[in-house]
Amino acid sequence: MNQGIRTNYATLVGPKIRDQRRALGMTQVGLSETLGISASYLNLIEAGRRNIGGGLLKRIADTLGLAVEELDGAAERRLLADLTELAAEPMLTALRLDVATTADIAGHYPGWARALIALHRAWLDRGRAVNALSDRLRHDPFLADAVHQLLTRVAAIKSAAEIVEKVEDLSPAQERRFAAIVGGESRRLADLAQALASFFERAHTAVRSLTPVGEVDDFLADHAHHFPGLENAASALREKARIAVDGDGIESLLIAYLQRAHGLEPPAGATRFELARRAAECACGDDALDVEIQRATALTNDAARRRARHALSAYVAAAVVMPYDPFLAAARRLRFDADALASTFGVSFEQACHRLVTLRRAGAQGVPFALMRVDASGYTTRRAPLPNLALPRHGSACPLWAVYLALQSPGAIVRQVVEFPGGERFLFVARAVDEPGPAFPMPRRVVSLMLGCDALYADQTVYGDGLSLGSAAPATPVGPNCRVCTRIDCAYRQEDPVIDA
Amino acid sequence: MTKVLIAEDDANIVESLSFVLGRAGFEVSCALDGDETLRKLHNDRPDVMVLDLMLPKRNGFEVLKAVKSDPALRDLPVMVLTAKGQPQDRRLVEQIGVEGFMTKPFSNTDVVEAVRRLAGVV
Repeated sequence: MNQGIRTNYATLVGPKIRDQRRALGMTQVGLSETLGISASYLNLIEAGRRNIGGGLLKRIADTLGLAVEELDGAAERRLLADLTELAAEPMLTALRLDVATTADIAGHYPGWARALIALHRAWLDRGRAVNALSDRLRHDPFLADAVHQLLTRVAAIKSAAEIVEKVEDLSPAQERRFAAIVGGESRRLADLAQALASFFERAHTAVRSLTPVGEVDDFLADHAHHFPGLENAASALREKARIAVDGDGIESLLIAYLQRAHGLEPPAGATRFELARRAAECACGDDALDVEIQRATALTNDAARRRARHALSAYVAAAVVMPYDPFLAAARRLRFDADALASTFGVSFEQACHRLVTLRRAGAQGVPFALMRVDASGYTTRRAPLPNLALPRHGSACPLWAVYLALQSPGAIVRQVVEFPGGERFLFVARAVDEPGPAFPMPRRVVSLMLGCDALYADQTVYGDGLSLGSAAPATPVGPNCRVCTRIDCAYRQEDPVIDA
Repeated sequence: MTKVLIAEDDANIVESLSFVLGRAGFEVSCALDGDETLRKLHNDRPDVMVLDLMLPKRNGFEVLKAVKSDPALRDLPVMVLTAKGQPQDRRLVEQIGVEGFMTKPFSNTDVVEAVRRLAGVV
């Protein structure tokens, strides 16, 4: 999927430049002179045949009165990644869709592209609901027992009724006895039928849409996982809670704040993060969080808004216990070592990783990290992609990714330099960690977390130390996932590619 | 007189089956759970056993397995009479070894005929 995105990026940006230039009534020659480039070069850019970035992209954006974000196609690349995932849909194999044309569709008909993706998601959602229902019917202990009871009751009725009906020399006492069996068993059967009916009513209403997760992903990605408004809300909350410096006193200050301002007695043993989250929900509920959520067009239903609110309260909590500037400074000093940051700020490894992803303030950025979290089955439970690193929305990624390898040795950091079929290189750093689980005899709950950054940034991190990071150095050959991967002869291939390379 | 053991936990089914099998000339006894079934098999070996699969304590699969792996009981004809009629249940009892298989709800006449056939009285 990634190899397509880099080459097609230009075809997304070019038409936008041309449209905006025309809208402003500028000629190609006029604009090229202002920019100090040749008209033929600008022509190539507008035709989508040259990739641009950095200074030139910024100059073009400034000249055309656009923000770089509007031009650099982050939203379109996400659209493109979603379309590529759609093209890999097994149901569409027979159509032999050409992945190369997805960029044209995204560039020229973005509305139609979004409509396709919306339909695809709704379709996946229905499929999952159906599977969930049929699984439920197959494995539900109540149903299995009810069916067994049903057959047993009917067997008893039928057998007794046959005796009453066919045996001619029954004594009156025997006749009464078997009639009583038929009567008693019929009443039990009626109760059973009612219980079954109400079970199906409940089962029907309990099937929930799974799309909200996707909507929240989109909402967070729309903001590049950074919310200036919430950073401010967190600063205000720190002031209200009189948190001046970071250190061991934060817990008691947060407890005091919750008691003083909200009359709340937090549960004993709550972690620093949990206390901050509680405070964030109390202090920011009605304004900061809801403002962000009401503005979000990506969130179309209450379930998605509830999830988003939960994600944003965690964001504020993170910003309270890991304030932006000190955290960024520490991250740079500690070279983005998530463990060292976790112990510095008294949070978990996962919380530190999440905070690293949010360091995207213009002018004060950290290393742009992607984040992925999977459960023990490999199912993706959290995803923060990068513009050039798509993460699976449905299903799983390439089995060679560190996020899966880490599950083989929980607790240990697994790092790898990977190379995608298109040549893009990333540093992946993963660790499987124990989630707080239920009591002793229950199975362990392990999730695997992975940070990923462009290999170009790897030397800024402690995780790049000792690795050969040059583009000619060895790297693990990986792909996005089997169905869209072009490494035909890969020994780890599980499924045929949908499109022949 | 040919002896039949009914291993079944539903008292009403036991009552009806005892009645029809008794009228058909069999000496009928019954056991309401798996442990009791095995005890009765050892103490007073029947000529045919009618076995439910969902028995309390030791289930019907375990009882069948114990019977078929016991040299003293191996040749006892067993008819499974069960509401668990799914193919996998049937395959499992056939793997263990069974002489007859009938699903609930059953017809009395069919049960009597099957027991007669297994007892070799027809």
